[in-house]
Order: sequence, then structure tokens, then C-alpha cells
Amino acid sequence: MTSLLPLWITLSYIVIAMLIGLAARGGRAMNSLEEWGVAGRSMGPVTLYLLIAAGSVSAYTFMGAPGWAYAKGVPVLYVVIYLGYLALVAWYFGPKVWAFGAKFGHVTQASAIADRYQSPALGALASLVMSVGSIAYAVLQTIGSAYILLVMSGGAIPVWAGVLLVLVAIAIYLYVSGQRAIGKTNVFQGILMFAVAWIIGLGAAHHATGEWSFAAVFAEVQQRNPEFLVLPGGGGDMSFAFWTTSIIVSMLSFMPPVWTQWMSATSARTIRRSATLLPTYYLVILPMIVVGFIGIYSLPNLERADTVVLEYAMANLPVVLVGLLGAGTLAASMSSSEPFIHSVALSWSKDVLQPALKLSDGKAGQLARWLIVPIMAFIIAPLAIAEPGNLVMILLIGLGFASQVLPAFIGMFFWTGATAKGVFAGIVTGFLVTVALITLWPHPLGIHGGFWGLMINLPVFVIVSRLTAPVPADVVERFFRIAAPWQLSSHKAEGSPVAVHPGK
Amino acid sequence: MRSTFVRPSSWKGWLMLVAFISVIVAGIWPVVGWVNQAVLVLGLPKLLVWSYIVLMCCTLVMWLGNMLVGEGEHD
Repeated sequence: MTSLLPLWITLSYIVIAMLIGLAARGGRAMNSLEEWGVAGRSMGPVTLYLLIAAGSVSAYTFMGAPGWAYAKGVPVLYVVIYLGYLALVAWYFGPKVWAFGAKFGHVTQASAIADRYQSPALGALASLVMSVGSIAYAVLQTIGSAYILLVMSGGAIPVWAGVLLVLVAIAIYLYVSGQRAIGKTNVFQGILMFAVAWIIGLGAAHHATGEWSFAAVFAEVQQRNPEFLVLPGGGGDMSFAFWTTSIIVSMLSFMPPVWTQWMSATSARTIRRSATLLPTYYLVILPMIVVGFIGIYSLPNLERADTVVLEYAMANLPVVLVGLLGAGTLAASMSSSEPFIHSVALSWSKDVLQPALKLSDGKAGQLARWLIVPIMAFIIAPLAIAEPGNLVMILLIGLGFASQVLPAFIGMFFWTGATAKGVFAGIVTGFLVTVALITLWPHPLGIHGGFWGLMINLPVFVIVSRLTAPVPADVVERFFRIAAPWQLSSHKAEGSPVAVHPGK
Repeated sequence: MRSTFVRPSSWKGWLMLVAFISVIVAGIWPVVGWVNQAVLVLGLPKLLVWSYIVLMCCTLVMWLGNMLVGEGEHD
């Protein structure tokens, strides 16, 4: 492929995203955590739908998922299922988180944790643990962005330059417009990705089989490689245990940007409307998976599975479609990296540095905006340029860490007896077990290391909570009046025992 | 404050809990084991069709929840 058209289409996407992101500010002052962090809680159902959808559909959809389909086959579908479950999570927890934020002024996940357990130290710990997963995710997406630019430019834009180009673009509009930029750009990115995925998927299927459906593709795979149509897949490594525990760990990973998205909604009703329709968006993954399956028999000797869609498109499809694929993939990766970078900066400022340095809310708001620069320059850019490991495994490690904060949420939504020390002990134990069982002895018995971490984490959390001093009753009651108001008597005196309804 | 676990307070809440758990169980072992066959349904792999059925069931369950407990309510 010698045409420069795909590169220009891809670069045009960055320019359009920049313009949308910069315009999103709309003349508002952005130095407050409320405005830069959660867009003044102003996002309606359509924006929120596309914000959450585009944020959760990453470069994985255009590169990793087809790569898994190419290398393993149907095991890739675990991601379809867990994304559906994330919508259930948003439907149930989103309205409660929104109400916490609106009533108690939370702008981050960790600030809600610090408030529930009356422990700034616990909030800081949760923030830092979650940052591991968030930064891993942002690095993953940045690598994807840089790789697209490398391919589209025929090698003229090396990985390091692509990383810098994408991060600088995001930094500018993120600094200027904060969460509003993420919302507006994700609307554009979400629509673009959906259209591009189906155009490329149908175009590839038509080119490969002469039909405008996917049936002939799978008939070919069934004849040649039937092992790709069942678990454990073509690689033989996706056992039922790993499938199941990967879905559970991913579902229970309440990633910080998702909380920020929920808190950006105009109302609890907005979140439920958006969440209800959210699974429909994940039809975006289907055509990309199909291209991976086409690659099984049409590109049998690829060195890097993640490149299957790009390789197929460049060899077989018109240059305009190749350019659209570049723009769509870049949209997927940028729309997912920007909320994670934003949430790490927001949380480090609000939950780590503000309590440590005793900063005012105004100073913390200013600091959050500036923090995106060192986070990108000293952490994300060097890691992305180094291109560590397998893309999907990095994501699983990040989610494995993130799921260890689960006890904090159990105490926020389900169990009044959770204590700060219980949560602290659970997180630390789960984190250490997860590190060991992902790096030193990866996934024993085919069970995800993060799931092992949770299995140790949860009993430790319950036992230590039982043995330590409870959180003040008025604080717990304040949270459970939102999380489960039916659990409390309506006019109970402060500090008195909770009246539990036996059920109607 | 006495330590207590949250549970649904009405039949609607219990129904939603059962629906949520059912749809989650439908996507993991052992249920996926029952559809794990190298056959095509409507031209697509059976597990792929099942995965998208589970996905659409997520929307149906949430729609049911909106009907039963309201889009802005808790339960």
C-alpha cells in the first residue's frame, strides 16, 4: 500500500477530535473539580450512552479482539459477555453512585471510599491501587494508537512519535475542557467506530466470500479449523475456568473512569436509560471478530495476531476503507485512554495529594488539570514506547488489580458492618496475591490470578471488619439511606440500631 | 449501627435479583459448556449466537427493571 490517503484520513480524525474537544469547554471556568472532573453533572442519556460505550470499546475491539479470534477463535467472546454485565453493573450501581456524588459532593471513586470509611488513607490507597489498572489500560490504548499511525504512515511515524502525537493531542483538549471534552469526543468517536466496524466487517466478508453476510466465513472455518468454534479455542488455553473467572473479575472491576462517567450524568434516571440500551452498542465487536476469523484461513502466517484486521484491509480493501479503519481504530484507542488518564489525574489530586498536602478544593482542581502532563510524560509515554508484553494480558492484569478494591464497594452498597481496617486488609492481601498469581505462578488451575486474589481478599475483609471498630453510625446511615433506603427505618434516631424490614 | 446485609425488600426486588443472577449464570460455566459445540446456528458459531443472546438478555432484564422498580428508583 503506497497511497497516503489512509494516513491523511487518520490524521484528519485527530484534528477533528481536537476541535471537538477544545470546543467542548464552551467558555466555562475549568479550575473546579466539579466542572473539570464531572462536567458539572450535565450529561444527558444520549451523550452518556455514547460516553460509556466508546469508553469501554477500546483498541481491543479493532486489534485485540480480532487478534484473539484469529489466534484462538470463540474464546474472544468472553469480552462480549463481560461488557453486557458491565451494563448491568451500571444500571444497578450507577444511580446510587450518582446520588452519592450529588449529595455528598464526591467527584472520584476514591473520595466516596474515603468518605464511607472516614479514612483519607484508605481513599488514597484505593486511588493508587486503581491507578495501576487505569495506567495499564491507558498504556495499552496509547500503544494501539501509535501502532495505527506507524502502519498508516508506512513507518514514517515511528512508535515514539505516534505516542507523543496522540498524547499531546489528548493533553491539550483534556486540559482545556476536562470531562466535557471526553463526553463530546466520545460521542463522535462512538458513532465513527460503530460505522467503521460494520463497513469493514461487511466489506471484508464480501471480499472473502462474495456474500454480504458472515455465514460463509464461519462455514469455511468449521470445515478447516472446527477447534476455533469451541472452548478452549485454537490455542487450547481458554478453559471454562479461565473464561468464567476472567468474566467475573472484569465485571467486578469498578474502574474509576466509569464512576466519573456515572457522576457526570444529569440524573439517576439518565444512567438507567443509558445502561439499558448499552448492550446494543456492543454489536460493534461482531464484524471485527469476523475479520479475525477470515484471517484464520486467508492470512495463516501472521507474526502478530493483533494486526489481522489491518493486514487484511491493507491487502484486500480500498484505500478509503483502510483510512477509515485507521481513524476508527484511533478513535477506539483515544476514546478509551483519555478517561483513564483523566481519572488518574483527578484521583491523585483529590484523593492522594489534597489530603497529604492539605490543599484547598480550588488548588486541587488546578493541580488535577496539570497532573495529566507528568502522568503522560513520565509514566504513560515511556511505558507505551517500551511496548511491554501482550496487549490483552496487560488488560487482564489491570482488571485483576482493580477488582481487589471490591470490599470497599461491598461496604458501600451491601454490608453496613464493613470497616476501614477490614477493607484495607482485604485490598492489601488481594493485591499481593494477585501480583504473585499473575507474575510468579500465572493463573493456577487455569483460574484468573485476580480471582484468586478475591478469594483470599474477601474472607480477610470480613474477618478483620468483624474484629475492628465500626465506622460511625451516622456516616453508615448516610450512605445506606441512598444505597438501600428500605433497610433503614424512616425516622430513626441517629446512632440507633438499624431496623431491617423482613420483606414485603 | 448494627451490622446487616442488604437484601431486596419486595417481590419485585427479588424478581430482579433472580433475573440478574440468571443472566450472569447464562454467560459462565457450566451453562456455556452446554452450548460449547462446533456447530453453526443461522450461519454463526453456536457460542457466538449464545453470547449475543446473553448480551440482549442484559437489555431485557434492565428494561424489566425499569418497568418494575422505575428508571430512577432503588431496589
